[in-house]
Amino acid sequence: MREFLEHGLNQNRRKFLSKMSLGIGGLALGSLMVPGIFDGKNEDDLFTNVLPHFAPKAKRVIYLFQNGAPSQLDLFDYKPMLQKMHGEDLPASIRMGQRLTGMTANQAKFPLAGTKFNFSQHGRSGAWFSETLPHLASMSDEMCFVRSIYTEAINHDPALTFFQTGAQVGNRPSMGSWISYGLGSENKNLPAFCVLLSKGKGNGQGVYSKLWNNGFLDSIHQGVQFSSGEEPVKYLTDPAFINRPDKRAMLDEISALNDAAYKNIGDPEIVTKIQQYELAYRMQMAVPELTSLQNEPESIIKMYGPECLIPGTYAANCLLARKLSENGVRFVQLYHQGWDTHGNLPKEIEGQCKDIDQSSAALIKDLKQRGLLDETLVIWGGEFGRTNYCQGALTKDNYGRDHHPRCFTIWMAGGGVKPGVFGETDDFGYNITNLPVHVHDFHATVMHLMGIDHEKFTFKHQGRRYRLTDVAGNVVHDLIS
Amino acid sequence: MSEKKIYQILEMSLWVLNPLLILIAFYNQEIQPGLFMQWIGKFHPLVLHFPIVFGMLISIYLLFFQHRRFSLDTEKFLLAINALFAAGVAICGILLSKQNAYDGDLINLHKWGGIAIALISWVLIYCQNLKIKSKKYLAAGFLLIIIGSAHKGAQLTHGVNALSFPEPAASKTENKNSAETQLTLYESTISPILASKCISCHGLDKIKGGLQLNSPENIIKGGKDGNILKGDANKTAMFIERIHAPLNDEKHMPPDGKTQLTSEEIAILSSWIKAGSSFTVKVNELQKEDSLYLLTNKSQPAVKPNFVPKSNLPDLKEFNSNYCTTNYLFNGSDEVEVNFFQGAFYDHENLKKLGKIKDGIVNLNMQGMPLKKEDLDLIVQFKNIQKLNLNGTKLEIASLEVLKSLPNLKSLSICGIEFDEAALDKFLDHAKFTELNVWTQNGTEKQLEKLMSKYPAIRIVVGDNLEDQVLQISNPTIEQDSLIIPNHVDIKLKHLLKGVVIRYTTDGTEPDSIKSPEYKENFRLTQNTVLKIKAYRTGWKSSDIVQRTYYKSEIHPDSIYLLTQPDPKHRGNGSKTLIDYDLGENNRYTDKWLGYQNSNMDLVIGFNQTKPLNSVYFNAYIETGGEIFPIESITAHGSDDGKTYKKIAETKFPAAKKDDPNGAKTFTCNFPKGTAYKFYKFSVSNVKKMPVWRKDRKGKPAWIFVDELFLN
Repeated sequence: MREFLEHGLNQNRRKFLSKMSLGIGGLALGSLMVPGIFDGKNEDDLFTNVLPHFAPKAKRVIYLFQNGAPSQLDLFDYKPMLQKMHGEDLPASIRMGQRLTGMTANQAKFPLAGTKFNFSQHGRSGAWFSETLPHLASMSDEMCFVRSIYTEAINHDPALTFFQTGAQVGNRPSMGSWISYGLGSENKNLPAFCVLLSKGKGNGQGVYSKLWNNGFLDSIHQGVQFSSGEEPVKYLTDPAFINRPDKRAMLDEISALNDAAYKNIGDPEIVTKIQQYELAYRMQMAVPELTSLQNEPESIIKMYGPECLIPGTYAANCLLARKLSENGVRFVQLYHQGWDTHGNLPKEIEGQCKDIDQSSAALIKDLKQRGLLDETLVIWGGEFGRTNYCQGALTKDNYGRDHHPRCFTIWMAGGGVKPGVFGETDDFGYNITNLPVHVHDFHATVMHLMGIDHEKFTFKHQGRRYRLTDVAGNVVHDLIS
Repeated sequence: MSEKKIYQILEMSLWVLNPLLILIAFYNQEIQPGLFMQWIGKFHPLVLHFPIVFGMLISIYLLFFQHRRFSLDTEKFLLAINALFAAGVAICGILLSKQNAYDGDLINLHKWGGIAIALISWVLIYCQNLKIKSKKYLAAGFLLIIIGSAHKGAQLTHGVNALSFPEPAASKTENKNSAETQLTLYESTISPILASKCISCHGLDKIKGGLQLNSPENIIKGGKDGNILKGDANKTAMFIERIHAPLNDEKHMPPDGKTQLTSEEIAILSSWIKAGSSFTVKVNELQKEDSLYLLTNKSQPAVKPNFVPKSNLPDLKEFNSNYCTTNYLFNGSDEVEVNFFQGAFYDHENLKKLGKIKDGIVNLNMQGMPLKKEDLDLIVQFKNIQKLNLNGTKLEIASLEVLKSLPNLKSLSICGIEFDEAALDKFLDHAKFTELNVWTQNGTEKQLEKLMSKYPAIRIVVGDNLEDQVLQISNPTIEQDSLIIPNHVDIKLKHLLKGVVIRYTTDGTEPDSIKSPEYKENFRLTQNTVLKIKAYRTGWKSSDIVQRTYYKSEIHPDSIYLLTQPDPKHRGNGSKTLIDYDLGENNRYTDKWLGYQNSNMDLVIGFNQTKPLNSVYFNAYIETGGEIFPIESITAHGSDDGKTYKKIAETKFPAAKKDDPNGAKTFTCNFPKGTAYKFYKFSVSNVKKMPVWRKDRKGKPAWIFVDELFLN
């Protein structure tokens, strides 16, 4: 039998092996022709050479993260039904047994809480705004509302981490790190990813540096936190006795040593280190110029409101965000704490709105008058929404709301988004009835706006290619102008 | 060379080429072909037709003419030549695919199809002695794969519709419209929707319900139930009704199972019908606020359909520096954007160098650069600039006049350039750009409004002018961390804004704008001082008062020893925490505080020689809500030998009240005149039983938190 087969194929073991040696020659030829074909390290270069994949609409992002989850029902998603049914129990047909947090799951009743605030419509799209946001309402024509975004996590940390990194566990690179990795910095004197923190008076939830971590990406893509004090970037100023030329000489020596070490050991982190020293050296010149308010005219200061003169406030961060973005920082991430309104919501949310209203509106206006809004994407939103029912005791004008991941509102402006109101929720503001937008879809859309095909933008780590959108996400074309 | 020899060379080459092919097919991602290899890749379209023809002939031969055999050797020879071509073409193809950005699925099918052809061709050589029937099956499969992957290849080069049947006239308008706003709304938008979703059943071939939607006349005519466009007060138009009906309703159009209208298309169609379903209105006649205009102003595809990616573009590295970056807009684009950063390092030469790529530049950002006329003269040569950012450049508007010669300029930003109405008026006259970004300053809004109405073709974007608003200025800051005065401290005051006057008092009175001294230079404090400062600026409300208390601590003990130990969680840096001149301020979780709950704080300080003292201050933190109460009492003892102590003084402090503010406070114990010892022992007592208003914690001991003691 075997002989027949061998004859039929005109092939046997000996022939096969001897000819296979030629094949090995072919392999060798291949590896000569394509140097480095077997080390698979060129992926980095590959990406930076092909990005952006297509014409970007937005070159930079300013993400105004509202940490703690603002109540969509008291700001943008107007539900008169809740006011009508104030105090009545949430119908089981609406809740459909969906999971609640441990904070309210044991409540005997889920009394619906209508918003205490007056709502009115503004702009061409007729978007609803609560009376707590008069300045933003005046910018309605620039804003793209997504009332139907939803997430999977129900508690702050996983939800925040999900929004920032595309995964609920905290070991993936942050969105800004991905963008930094993909598009690099426009301005070589500033990091591509900057982080600014501020704190409102409302019930707060922590932010932690893992949220702007580079994960498995090179550490040069980590977010650089600007702090509120005299020294916005920690350890950037030289001691009094060191002058610029000395510093330069010192860095040259260090980098020569590092270079030698790299040639010897080949650890890529050494190269990162050299780059970071150089970046810090250039930042020493760029940052003080940037953070100074001395060159801002009075009209700009007043536009952002007097709080922008107090370092570390949200208003000051908005102004700084504009300056960073204007100077080529790809991704500016703000966090404003204090939106976790489990109780005493009306009073707390008023304070929070006061913090963000004027300065967020001013940021849009300021970018617009500089001709930058069309290339800068401004995003405003929290990690999830808040429930339509009351947590704790419900009175006529005081209530609290628990976490609600099933629908909430974010808005975007500039950077190629289409102004208008998108997505719908049911009359109770509990479930989405039209155009559901998942966190992965949101990430995919933002990347699309930046000229990145989220499915092609990967990083190989521990044998697997990772994406910001993991294995999901669709670009929501409805939101794109 | 003998025929056999040639065949051997052929066979050997196949054993080299095919493994190579497999290798580069699987490591496709990692390959970056050099210039020579790119050139080889370009032979793909030249030679690809050989293996197609060979392969098809071979298949046909194997399928139908096997009985009319060639000699085995000839057969083998031909098969080997075919395999050689197939392998060569496949390798070239993969190299070529790396040079252009092709779409995923298509290129993948084509690639693996081609590889399959090469491998089957190779295998065929060794199948000569198989049964005729099996060879026929093999040949049939081979033929199908050739046809399939060749077709995919054709779609790659000639477009997906390369071989699809030419479409009827109605939908053709779709292709030529978009840019031409001269088209009617019907032609540009409505008809393409109907063509793609409706006329398969309501067109020339099928006329369901007697309705044809392929021309205005037929649409107006309606179907067997009559007019579809007109409704009345009681009934909406049938067309609108049908497209809005629920999907499971029999009346729903298009029927379940057919491609559905998108929500946007539904909105467009119903707005069009509600607006009177005009077949003549043109797109550019619609009002900008008209919902139809907004709806039809659709999103542009990310890559224009006819976009051809460019390759072999010049490397931009030579133009990049730390202060100037250039890049192509996106992969395959030949349009360049240029950004300059950090005016302090601006170099005219850098701009000059860009002359080499001057036709490629479409976006130029020179925000904040110290530009002069010579720079503008260079910029004017970049004929393809569309967007130019000159914000904050200190140019004069009059000097911008040259920019009007830029033929493609669309958007210009001159925020922060000094306003000059006459010059701007002249500049806008006959300007070709369509957008000007400029900020408003005091008194300029009126003039800008005038210009806006004079030049309606130019969109002038301005900001808000709030300069008339009177706001409160933010607080001034004191650049002086320590609140302790060993001998003296020099106070430096600061404010973020220019033109701010800071006034201060050191006697506890409130600063005012008349009597209080104005801060001009650093001043010196030598005594216990309450410093109050306030900022003033014309046009603003004055700031709040910033207040700080400075403590004199002239005397530094030579040693300090804690007799009772603080709570393990709040033990600071041990005894020296109390004399390190470093106050804990309002954060009690730092290691600058010592916390006691279960005992008094007892400590001894020692001097090498007898030291006269007037008083001791303890700085303590109070937060009654957090069970941190004020110090109850301080008792001081003195000793010269460190063994026998004599009581010097005892001071009791008032009990805490429920609404006492949180924060640090000093507690003083004064000594009688002439007190002088080598050792001093202090006992700082906490509240042992908290009062009733601390609810559940009443009767329990309170905390004390102390961060420093001052000796005078």
